[in-house]
Amino acid sequence: MQGRKFDQNIEISVRGLKKSFGENKVLNGIDFDLYDGEKVVVLGPSGSGKSTFLRCINRLEEPTSGEVFFENTLISDTNVREMRAKIGMVFQHFNLINNLTVMENLTLAPVKLKKFSEDEASKKARGLLKHIGLSAKADAYPASLSGGQKQRVAIIRALMMDPEVLLFDEPTSALDPESIGDVLDLIHEVVDKGMTTMIVTHEMNFAREIASRVVFIDHGRIIEEGEPAEFFSRPKTPRVKEFLDKVL
Amino acid sequence: MGFFEKLVELFSTPEYIDSLLHGFLLTIEISFFAVLIGFILGLIIALIETGKHKWLLPLKFICRVYVTIIRGTPMALQLFIMFFVIFAIRDFPQIVTAILAFAFNSAAYTSEIIRGGILSVDAGQTEAGLALGLSNFTIFRKIVAPQAFKNIIPSLGNEIITVIKETAIVSMVGMYDLNMAAKDIGSGQNMASYVVPMFVAALFYLAVVYLISFAIKRVEKRMRRSDARA
Ligand SMILES: Nc1ncnc2c1ncn2[C@@H]1O[C@H](COP(=O)(O)OP(=O)(O)OP(=O)(O)O)[C@@H](O)[C@H]1O
Ligand SMILES: [Mg+2]
Repeated sequence: MQGRKFDQNIEISVRGLKKSFGENKVLNGIDFDLYDGEKVVVLGPSGSGKSTFLRCINRLEEPTSGEVFFENTLISDTNVREMRAKIGMVFQHFNLINNLTVMENLTLAPVKLKKFSEDEASKKARGLLKHIGLSAKADAYPASLSGGQKQRVAIIRALMMDPEVLLFDEPTSALDPESIGDVLDLIHEVVDKGMTTMIVTHEMNFAREIASRVVFIDHGRIIEEGEPAEFFSRPKTPRVKEFLDKVL
Repeated sequence: MGFFEKLVELFSTPEYIDSLLHGFLLTIEISFFAVLIGFILGLIIALIETGKHKWLLPLKFICRVYVTIIRGTPMALQLFIMFFVIFAIRDFPQIVTAILAFAFNSAAYTSEIIRGGILSVDAGQTEAGLALGLSNFTIFRKIVAPQAFKNIIPSLGNEIITVIKETAIVSMVGMYDLNMAAKDIGSGQNMASYVVPMFVAALFYLAVVYLISFAIKRVEKRMRRSDARA
């Protein structure tokens, strides 16, 4: 299957995932495994349920039915916080905490969750900030950052927790064209270091570059998946052909 | 005798000054504790109303009914009910009854203000906290509450000012507040003229309201630091 080794561990396992908002059936039974080290790009038309899929994984949305396992443990009401701490998420609209400085945004969770001491956390944060060239912004509030700066801080905020998996939901869709490059470069770097990743994006070139597997969702179902070379050049279903014709 | 002579008379008669200060103190005492208790009760109501647990449903209903009743009936009637129905107990301290009457009233309005403040915080802020694995308590304390509070400072300020002015109706149940002091000093046995004592009482109210507006503006300015785009 898709050139994956059999000895690889499964990080996330989704079984029979369904989600409705009232009458609106958004996810209609998703089965999906994310293996250690994979970089899965999730594609699909607007409203097909991509965001809902990601958000059901870390339970920002409560699934209507179905199960999500993280490292072979069923995510439940009792362990969900522990699981979230290991599954980083980067949002389309950055969601930096407005009333906290950049430094506080980075250190709040690792310190509160006793992952690091204050000193360790701020040292790590300074290192990451330096790496993305934003050391000078440590004590600034998010309102004073550009979109691209906010998103890069949001990415290193997720990295502060040393997550096993990173979920990105359209990380560049809310950015002006000039800052998209910086953010994609940072994601590229994180992914190259071996981070297991799921990313929803409309940046097709980027998707093709980083994906080890592409998953296509339509009407809340995975209708096609495959290696990027195969997927983009020889799509199997007419729906994907049509989609790719439009976006490429 | 002219206005000015009356003014001198008021401020040179120790009993009058004493009465004014007593009345003023009572007004401040009732207002202070009413606002404080009203805020705590209002916060509890707002937390229930914005809570997500299913078992909060009956409590939510009770809160809704409470707020509707308080907001739909006159404060003066609520005060009478407290004095002549609920706390119609001999020797029960009047000031406690008055404080509770205004606290229960203020709680309803404050809860609406706080609820609005909590709902005004972008859902993405909470989601960021959840995605990092933070507890609901930490998210509320570190993220939602500070942002909500910043948004509602002006409304809370207004509510405090409203309570202070509304306490003047305790004179209707015979309590000796600032309003009552003015009436007493102006009565026939005393100065036999209402103009000056009421003018002075008005100045007292104005001074307090002004001070509070000023303090609120200061707090607001400090809290706005995180909005700076510099
Ligand atoms: N909280 C919600 N309440 C009600 N309906 C929702 C909610 N979130 C999503 N939906 C609905 O679910 C459907 C799928 O939404 P979702 O955001 O998952 O799509 P998407 O594939 O991420 O689309 P896009 O590419 O536009 O981001 C849409 O019809 C949307 O209106
Ligand atoms: Mg989406």
